[in-house]
Amino acid sequence: MKILLVEDDAQTSAYVANGLREHGHVVDQADNGRDGLLRASGGGYDVLVIDRMLPGMDGLAIVKTIRAAGTRSPALLLTTLGGVNDRVEGLEAGADDYLTKPFAFAELLARVNALARRPPMTEETTVLRVGDLEMNRLKRTVTRGSVLIELQPQEFRLLEYLMRNAGQVVTRTMLLENVWEFHFDPRTSVVETHISRLRAKIDRDFDEELIHTVRGSGYSLGVSR
Amino acid sequence: MSQDSFFRSTSFRLLAWYAAVFGASVAVLFFVVYWIALAAIDEQLTDSIERETQVLVDLYRSRGLGPVARAIQLRAVDLRSPRRYYLLQDAKGERIAGNLPAMAPVEGDLILPVSHLYPDRNTKLENPADAYPVVAQGQRLDSGEFLLVGESRFRAVKAREAILRALGWGIAITVLLSGIGGAALRSGFLRRIEEINRTTRSIMEGDLSQRMPTRGSGDEMDRLAVNLNAMLARIQALMESLKRVSDDIAHDLRTPLSRLRHRLEVARGKAVPDGDPVIEQSISELDAILETFSALLRIAQIESGARLAAFSDVNLAQIVSTVSDAYMPVVEDRDQKLVVMLEPVPLIQGDRELLIQMVANLIENSIRHCPAGVVITIELRQEAGAPVLCLSDTGPGIPGPERDKVFRRFYRLETSRTTPGSGLGLALVKAVAELHVASIDLSDNGPGLRVTVHFHEAAAGARKSTPHA
Repeated sequence: MKILLVEDDAQTSAYVANGLREHGHVVDQADNGRDGLLRASGGGYDVLVIDRMLPGMDGLAIVKTIRAAGTRSPALLLTTLGGVNDRVEGLEAGADDYLTKPFAFAELLARVNALARRPPMTEETTVLRVGDLEMNRLKRTVTRGSVLIELQPQEFRLLEYLMRNAGQVVTRTMLLENVWEFHFDPRTSVVETHISRLRAKIDRDFDEELIHTVRGSGYSLGVSR
Repeated sequence: MSQDSFFRSTSFRLLAWYAAVFGASVAVLFFVVYWIALAAIDEQLTDSIERETQVLVDLYRSRGLGPVARAIQLRAVDLRSPRRYYLLQDAKGERIAGNLPAMAPVEGDLILPVSHLYPDRNTKLENPADAYPVVAQGQRLDSGEFLLVGESRFRAVKAREAILRALGWGIAITVLLSGIGGAALRSGFLRRIEEINRTTRSIMEGDLSQRMPTRGSGDEMDRLAVNLNAMLARIQALMESLKRVSDDIAHDLRTPLSRLRHRLEVARGKAVPDGDPVIEQSISELDAILETFSALLRIAQIESGARLAAFSDVNLAQIVSTVSDAYMPVVEDRDQKLVVMLEPVPLIQGDRELLIQMVANLIENSIRHCPAGVVITIELRQEAGAPVLCLSDTGPGIPGPERDKVFRRFYRLETSRTTPGSGLGLALVKAVAELHVASIDLSDNGPGLRVTVHFHEAAAGARKSTPHA
């Protein structure tokens, strides 16, 4: 995957770029806004990772400019700590996701992967399938093999998100934001308890485990490799 | 109308006092003027009679009774003002001359009533002055004759009437002028107070750049406005430097903290397969620091009113339902119970993301500070057209004196020191409530804690029209 990283701090940029390269991605780096805009406008990137605050040109302005010019590459904005309006502003400008600095590398990697795979399944897809697990979004039913599984509405939404991102690592923060609209870190184990309830329904009575815990990152739904 | 009642209580009372004191002093002044004028008129009358008596007495002494009688005859028919009355009698009491009937001689000052002047009631009055009593002075002459000179009080009465009329007009004009002046003063005063109130309101909504209008007249109101402006400028400068410091911290620390976290991650990558516990602990400590830091900055930004721009229609019932569903399994795992009671409530103007966090923080606060077995109840109802959110638990509660303090940043109850937490959860709840013009109060749930948030639908809606991003 080809990724453009626009980040003015050389050390952070090197660390992120190296990490992405280790995971098999091709990374171009830019250390200021103008350079970043030039490269992004050139196109050909699968994902853009852009810092919000940059010398020369603001990260928001870059996203706005390239969106106006018709560049569709998904963009991930890196935002300031505590910047309460950054997410709304970023999404309005045309960014696809945001990540608050400082971040865990695993979080960035998971989000970059999720963005690159978008859209694996469109909103209109009515039946999602992973292995022998099947979800019908219209009938709101879930079956594994031939067994019908009863899910609470929030368990359904959690499973739907996992199935849409099947095979990908999904972080705790991504689940909080997308399933519960929590844009903060709860001090109780909301995600963990929901995942364990879902596991009990999806995996406990079956031979093969579908929900995997990825240590230090999050969760992944899929058939074991 | 609060302005009306304010006006009644202060401005109007001031005006009433002003009018009363002014009116009283004018009345005293008028009374003194009237009294002095009346005395002067009476004195003038007496003087005039005395002078006339003296002239006639002198004439009598130098020329004898005959010329005096002739002089009196001439003067008595003079109808010009002032109307004078004369009586000259001989020692036996027979009238010699004059226009008054004979009478028993009385020396000194006396007042003759109208009935004495004209015993015959049908007499036609020759002069309007004849209808008034007469001030007179009687004097016995050297050979036993009696001389009486009098003057009608007509002029004195007319003068008194004229003075009273003038005073009456004076008082009427004074009252009118003080009324007009007071009303002008009042509306000017009230307008300036209202200008200050309006400015204060928009400042409270987060626009610290607003200033009180000044006129350069240098009066008290102007000086008040100038002083308030100086105070606001100082506050704004302090707020800006505080904001700059927070922004600088946020900006300058995020890079080194990012590097620190990345280095720890690299170190973790090189560590033993099971992970080095020192590195793992360092990363989680660092994350806790970042979280506290982030929460502080978030509260500061909420308090600055920067989020008002993101306000839109929000369905509180849906938020409460989503958030309680999220915490339901957590509560059950801890053997606690969460009861949700929802009534349909009107939409409010608000920030969905922050309201979700507010409800979550409230529920988490109860979950984390209560033991197993408690019942946590979250209730959304409608009171007087506005939504009320009420969260209660049957846990240890908060002692009365501590209740106001728990909204402070980093304040933690002695009993909960051992519970992990930043001490910022309720501070953020309060900041979000205030952003939504909602009042929040804590009370005893007997046992336990009850948190009540009263939203104001109209107020929250009104704030949408003044976004300060």
